[in-house]
Amino acid sequence: MNAMRIFLTKLATHPLALLVLFVVVFFGAPYLRGATLQILSFALVSILFTQSINVLTGMAGQISLGHAAFFGIGAYGSAIIAKTFGLNLFLTIPVAAVVSSLIAYLLSYPAGRVKEVYLAMMTLGFGQIFLEVAREWTDLTGGVMGLSGVPSAGLGTLIILGHKFSTIDYFRVLLLITVCSMIFIRNFSQSRLGRSLFVMHYSELAAGSVGIARRQTKQLAYALSGLLAGISGGFYAHLVGYLGPESFAISRSIEVLVVAIVGGLWSSAGQVISAIFFTFLPEQLQLFAEYQFIAYGLILTFTLILFRQGIGGLLFLPPRFIRQAWLTTAVEQQRQATAANSKTNEPQFLKIQSVSADINVQAITMRFGGLVALNSVSLDIQAGHITALVGPNGSGKSTLVNIIAGVFPPTSGQVFLQGIDVTAQADVEMAKKGVVRTFQDPRLVPHFTVRENIMLGAHAMMHYTWLEAGLSMPRVRLQEAQALEQCNEILQLLDIEAVADQAVESLPYGYRRMTELGRALLARPKIILLDEPAAGLSDLEMTRLAEILVKLKHLGITVLLIEHHMDFLNGLVDEVVVLDSGSIIFKGDMLGMRQDPKVIAAYLGDDEVQHA
Amino acid sequence: MDFFLSLVIAGACVGSVYALVAVGLNLTFWTTKTLNFGQGAVMMLCAISTALLTAQGLSNGVAIITGVAIVALVGVIVERIAVRPALKTAGSMGWVIATLGFGILLQGITSKFFGSQAIPFPEVLFTVQDVIDIGGQNISLQYVSIFVVSILIIVVLEALTRYTVLGTAIRGTAQDMELAIVQGLPVNLIVSGSFVLSSIMAGIAGILTAQISGTVDPAFGFELVLMGFVAAVLGGMGSSAGALIGGIIVGIIGKLVGGYISTAAEHGIAFALLIMMLALRPEGFFGRAEVTKA
Amino acid sequence: MTSSKSYSSLTLIAAALLLASPVASAQPTIKLGMTTALTGPFNEFGEGNRRGVVLAIDEWNKKGGINGRKIELAEAMDDQLVPDKAVQNMRRILDNKDIVAIIAPAGSGPSLATMDMLEADGRPTCNPLAQSPSVIYPKGKDQPPRKNVVSMAITNESEANRLGQILGKQYKNIGVIHESTAYGVTGAELVKKSIAATNPAAKVQIESYNQRSQDMTSQVARLQRSQVDAILVVGLGADFAVIRKNMSRANVKVPLFGSTGAVTAPYLEGAGDLAIGTRSVSPDAFGKRPLSAYAQNFVDQYRAAHGTDRWYGSDAANPQISMAAIVGNAYDCAVVLLDAIRRAGSTEPAAVIAALNQTKGLAGIAVPSITLTAQIHEAFKPEDLGLFEINKSAAGALYLKPVVE
Repeated sequence: MNAMRIFLTKLATHPLALLVLFVVVFFGAPYLRGATLQILSFALVSILFTQSINVLTGMAGQISLGHAAFFGIGAYGSAIIAKTFGLNLFLTIPVAAVVSSLIAYLLSYPAGRVKEVYLAMMTLGFGQIFLEVAREWTDLTGGVMGLSGVPSAGLGTLIILGHKFSTIDYFRVLLLITVCSMIFIRNFSQSRLGRSLFVMHYSELAAGSVGIARRQTKQLAYALSGLLAGISGGFYAHLVGYLGPESFAISRSIEVLVVAIVGGLWSSAGQVISAIFFTFLPEQLQLFAEYQFIAYGLILTFTLILFRQGIGGLLFLPPRFIRQAWLTTAVEQQRQATAANSKTNEPQFLKIQSVSADINVQAITMRFGGLVALNSVSLDIQAGHITALVGPNGSGKSTLVNIIAGVFPPTSGQVFLQGIDVTAQADVEMAKKGVVRTFQDPRLVPHFTVRENIMLGAHAMMHYTWLEAGLSMPRVRLQEAQALEQCNEILQLLDIEAVADQAVESLPYGYRRMTELGRALLARPKIILLDEPAAGLSDLEMTRLAEILVKLKHLGITVLLIEHHMDFLNGLVDEVVVLDSGSIIFKGDMLGMRQDPKVIAAYLGDDEVQHA
Repeated sequence: MDFFLSLVIAGACVGSVYALVAVGLNLTFWTTKTLNFGQGAVMMLCAISTALLTAQGLSNGVAIITGVAIVALVGVIVERIAVRPALKTAGSMGWVIATLGFGILLQGITSKFFGSQAIPFPEVLFTVQDVIDIGGQNISLQYVSIFVVSILIIVVLEALTRYTVLGTAIRGTAQDMELAIVQGLPVNLIVSGSFVLSSIMAGIAGILTAQISGTVDPAFGFELVLMGFVAAVLGGMGSSAGALIGGIIVGIIGKLVGGYISTAAEHGIAFALLIMMLALRPEGFFGRAEVTKA
Repeated sequence: MTSSKSYSSLTLIAAALLLASPVASAQPTIKLGMTTALTGPFNEFGEGNRRGVVLAIDEWNKKGGINGRKIELAEAMDDQLVPDKAVQNMRRILDNKDIVAIIAPAGSGPSLATMDMLEADGRPTCNPLAQSPSVIYPKGKDQPPRKNVVSMAITNESEANRLGQILGKQYKNIGVIHESTAYGVTGAELVKKSIAATNPAAKVQIESYNQRSQDMTSQVARLQRSQVDAILVVGLGADFAVIRKNMSRANVKVPLFGSTGAVTAPYLEGAGDLAIGTRSVSPDAFGKRPLSAYAQNFVDQYRAAHGTDRWYGSDAANPQISMAAIVGNAYDCAVVLLDAIRRAGSTEPAAVIAALNQTKGLAGIAVPSITLTAQIHEAFKPEDLGLFEINKSAAGALYLKPVVE
């Protein structure tokens, strides 16, 4: 089974194979019957439209039950501009697609604030509103009478720069655009922005912790999705020559979801096959029309449960989100670098160049409704030291870390980073300032490899845009290769190189912890906040972790960790702070903590104090 | 009859049905944090079963009970094959799509076996001509009775959840499922039960709506579920009182907009309200803002 | 002597036989094609159309076909009245160069979607049902029609004219409720114009609804507020039933009229006894007693093939009025195309179209007497409509009874 997958993946991604396929289809077009050419054109439109779902739902995990609206904006937009201004489709389709993208961008504002079920409802409502507008705004869209006379190759009315476009010409243009779009998306998915879309789906907090701006990422996903849907809609309009509002009802939104899900939500290759299948099926099987609802119903009900990865998962290897070629470059670069310099034990890029960072919290109080989680806590986390935060469950340790990291602001009090007030800064800003944290249970993208997950940490360090990513500009290669090189160094530091290219969901817990640590490190922290990093680790792994933390200290990074494992902390930490019920009850070294009566009382109960 | 009054009464009546749908949606939201996106098909199935059975000669009462029983069974099935497995394996989106798909499947099966035509629905609650005279205005008894029935059901449900052991069990499961399991509550049964109840609510709502329009067809119900969503969101997900008030508000505003502005706008206003509410105050009028521990 | 004579006559006979037989048996069939709503919520119209076409083809084949060639419905595709599907199906039909004539889809949506491609192709096409004027006259009534498209459908114009005349003459304040579709919108607009022409002082208020809305209180209440003295509904049967019920609940008791599409079985079933008294204009063909010989033959053939089904109605002696407009119109379409092919003596599009334009007084069902010219491509005339009112028979069944004006 796997051998077949490997073979098919090689075939589907091999440049020569794809080129041959393209050439055959491109030059074979004149030999096809009119109806076949038309169906293939419909299939290409479907592929493009499905890519818009790929980006928004597959990658960013934002469900959309009303995507027909963007398809429709592209279709009507291009048709109306063409009819009103007499411009040709090379102008009208981009304009309409940009309009669609803009509206999607606007939708991301309310949509980005709600989750899951509410998002589903909102997109459903949005799709319905579009349908109503298309039906009622007769002056613009032709209303229920529809818009006829859209320049179309099939009717011989598509004339561009004096040349009358035949259906073959149209098909070829559509083919080119589809192929280019798919290449663009593939490039995009293998860039920092593509990867950031995925982490949005699995953990928005994890995204924030390494400086990935949530709102902007969602906006990008919506805007790109809207653009693709708009392009596909535009080509649809000039394919059929007549637009009626009923073509953009909920059935269209459902159809594209079915195609995407059956293809495999983030598998472009699977979606191509699925789109072609679902376009040809009603043609070949006249019977299908009657059973269409039943078929779609069955597919939607069971595919995500039984057949999660879709056709893509069945036929191909899981897609990768790092360019193999750049990884090779990075490895090469690293080899040359280490050959030139003497090999050091620690990744030098992590070394704090100037002064280590310290954190100072003053009178932090945090209330959740009536519950006081932190009660006027003040403390200094010394620069370059390893500080431990201990205390019974519910004492406020995670809350304090969340506040320092910027996940939420305190009810009152202040946080200073190297003397500057950063109280109101959000987690994304704090991450950019060098305050990076890990979580109590690792928040990783399950189907990403260790390497891909760690690469998320480099997001804020790279600066190329989505456009550059899609076009695979040289800048992208440079920055990715450098990040990959640094990633390699971290993999070596954490001793997880052996599993670097395995999906984290298949790895034991200890590796996942290390991966999350790696991600935090790649973000070049000045201060790293670790939430129970030793939990669930074996003795061997704990020893290794302690060694790593010592190395971090050598590099000048300030470490704050929440922990329960006293043995682990012994000999490792410079200072320990004990919290109980929201207040600090002890600050000092490990030895002092063990003897402090208040600490003993908090952990063991009052009776024990007498015996200690 | 007075123009304004006729709009308000019709609005309150259809709104009460939306509220009924919303309350049904709330039930499963309490226990599993999920909604049946295919609830419309459940409504349709109950109404069509009732219509077909009365056409075969069964009495109205028996037909209705059978129809409701059928959808109660469907509730069990939805939970078992769409919701439970999706929650386990398919993440946050899985159940939305699975329940949506299940609704489409039901619709497809129904139209395959019974055709896509609209079939007439019998007059169960009074006839179209029955009116009652209130303060000089002739008000259709059908509207009044539907309103009363909906409110009654909602009130009874609320009483059940507040004052009975079963209700407490449901609320306990809703708050903390793990704790409920530990306490020995038959959580699976409670969850199934919530879906059954939810489907019964939907089925009754379907019958009431079919009563208003007079016909049912397989595509019936989809719009109503959207209205139920709007009602639930306006009132605050999970709040029965909110659902009731939300539903009536949606119904009345819709009719008023249709009457005073344009009948074309009547359709879209509910969705505009939905998006506005979700954007500005997702917890609705009566819900509390959700705070989740990071 | 005798032997040479018989020898030569034998040779002659043999030669004649040799010549005759290949001609008779090797002729390809004359192929027609159509895409329509064979299944789905509108299959009442699409399947009805198909039956009409098949019935006509069978009739003609029984009489020997055309110049010895049999006729065949080579492509009957299903589009469920979805315009996209109709476009895809039509492309496939047009790809088949053997198809010589086409019957258009059973609704304005898919017809409008495919008309441009049909016109570009040029093969003779007949529109059985779609009422939107731009199906035949894309640039307006005063401009030439599409060269290759003729229509047997009730025209929105004829219907609107008759309704307008009736309503304008008797009422001063008329409410029109129409469905939000091409059929509804153009119907309502044309009725409004027609009422204005009949009675410039009459007031017309127009309301709309989306198909399958559950409650039409707003529409009815608005008309009630304007104190209309008659209501016309342009839409389909199921929705008409909902409106009728709303009227009853709102205690609106004014005279009620429905378009042809509205007074169909779903209305009678849905509204029940409330439907009694509703008036409508419908093709007159089945209202007359006795039926014309041509029409009688049609209903007898239909009953023989399908029995008293939902298109025919349960009463064998009284076929439903609506059958003329749902099955009969497609029958007429097939007949008019075949007649033109026969007169042209060829299946060449130009020749057939020329023959179509010379159709004069051809017998039909929905259109009793079909006449077409180069300018007039719609065969249906206002005179082909009659005024009907829903009555209850002694047996308790609801039916459309002709009204003598």
